[in-house]
Amino acid sequence: MLYNVLRVIRCFYQSQQACSVLTIAQSLHQSGIFSTMREVNIKGASGLCTLVSDGQSDIPQSVSDSENMGKSSFSVQSTPEIEKKYVHHVYDAIAPHFSSTRFAKWPKVATFLSSLPSGSLVLDAGCGNGKYLGLNPDCFFIGCDISGPLIKICADRGHEVLVADAVNLPYRTGFGDAAISIAVLHHLSTEIRRKRAIEELVRVVKKGGLVLITVWAVEQEDRSLVAKWTPLTEKYVEEWIGPGSPHARSPSSLPLESIPENEDNGLRDHIKDSRENSMEEMPETSHLASKGKNDSLSLKHEKNTMNQQEYFVPWHLPYHRAEVSGASACALANGLAKKDDKKGAVVYNRYYHVFSEGELERLASGMDNAVIVERFYDKSNWCIILEKIL
Amino acid sequence: MRLLTHNMLSSNIKGVANGFPLRIEVEKVIEKQVELNADFLRNLFPKIEWKALLDAARTMGYAELPEEADSPMLDSDEFLNKFHHALLELHLEEGALVCPETGRRFPVNKGIPNMLLHEDEV
Repeated sequence: MLYNVLRVIRCFYQSQQACSVLTIAQSLHQSGIFSTMREVNIKGASGLCTLVSDGQSDIPQSVSDSENMGKSSFSVQSTPEIEKKYVHHVYDAIAPHFSSTRFAKWPKVATFLSSLPSGSLVLDAGCGNGKYLGLNPDCFFIGCDISGPLIKICADRGHEVLVADAVNLPYRTGFGDAAISIAVLHHLSTEIRRKRAIEELVRVVKKGGLVLITVWAVEQEDRSLVAKWTPLTEKYVEEWIGPGSPHARSPSSLPLESIPENEDNGLRDHIKDSRENSMEEMPETSHLASKGKNDSLSLKHEKNTMNQQEYFVPWHLPYHRAEVSGASACALANGLAKKDDKKGAVVYNRYYHVFSEGELERLASGMDNAVIVERFYDKSNWCIILEKIL
Repeated sequence: MRLLTHNMLSSNIKGVANGFPLRIEVEKVIEKQVELNADFLRNLFPKIEWKALLDAARTMGYAELPEEADSPMLDSDEFLNKFHHALLELHLEEGALVCPETGRRFPVNKGIPNMLLHEDEV
């Protein structure tokens, strides 16, 4: 029985799409029992197999060769479960609150947009609440995001927007003059999808057009913020994300117990929206006073997670905001969010693959129709500017 | 949705050879005035598929665009005004965009097209 379980799991390793294994792993995550994951898999073997047959119409038996990848039923454009649950649904649920905290314009993005020729058509893929739409009044912006609620906020502000997927932009090739992708790609859970999103950005601009991409860095300026994140351990990565994950599988991955939970860090004396959720595309210096206990926890955490790139990053949705949504009731019932009475907030987790130094460049450098014209690190983000040359 | 956006949108359903232009089903059109920017219009003109813009404008109830257009016409204020109006001032508020090959309808609500594909379309 163990062999069958392992064989089934192996099939999921090799698929692009995390599937219903999520539900088992998810409950384990919340109880923090990773050391018993293997045991549960064995016990729940028949359940696992049921999920398998329910979840997929045909399970590839021999998808180990890469050429089968493209031909398999798991297209690079299919949204993996982890993104549906821990990116899309979360942003849909927190949209108005999220938008109210996203107002500061990142100077580097503003500079890029201001440098574009007057009359440029700029495409913002993953525009969120539309913070950058219209930032250069001499340009025309068309934004898209996968979150309907966020796009609604953009539209209410008068922007030209649509709901679309950054991995499969519904745009004619070469139409835009420039494109931006600000804090988006780190929500894509496989390397192939991240690469595809970059290719799409280049595809939709004209020859000579520029593309600015920014993503969260592994190398965060404020380590105490990283301590608030939940690292997804090796088991998670293999079962939920598959072989697309680029980081090395080191047997020294630490069990969850050694990583401090959010609540254990509770030396905060108050929770304000922007402070609690200050870790965003322009991370600010932590407002948490740097207590001794925090320092030692942060250091230990940092040492333990040097290779760690997959994380759940919490978002605290205050109760008074959650009632407006209604989605939160569902999320709580489904176990996708937790209540934190102490902070008076519904806590959501967002999936992030943070980028290591050089990773974004590596993804972009294989393209034959674009070159990297600028690369920089700014406020805990890795950034590149591409120019389409063909 | 403005016709500028419509001129860029293409059905990206798996297997579709040419998803452009999307056919427009109109339920509600509104007009919103916006300031004319000649530089912008001149920059956009080479990108525009004229026939698609012409047909779309007609579908939206605006029949003033010439059958054909070439760049010298951009020197004419009258042409610029019509081009500007069709491209930027007509909004499809409610309706749908239809894939020319599969007939799949992408809904447009409150001016927002939803171009997300279903699992079996990627």
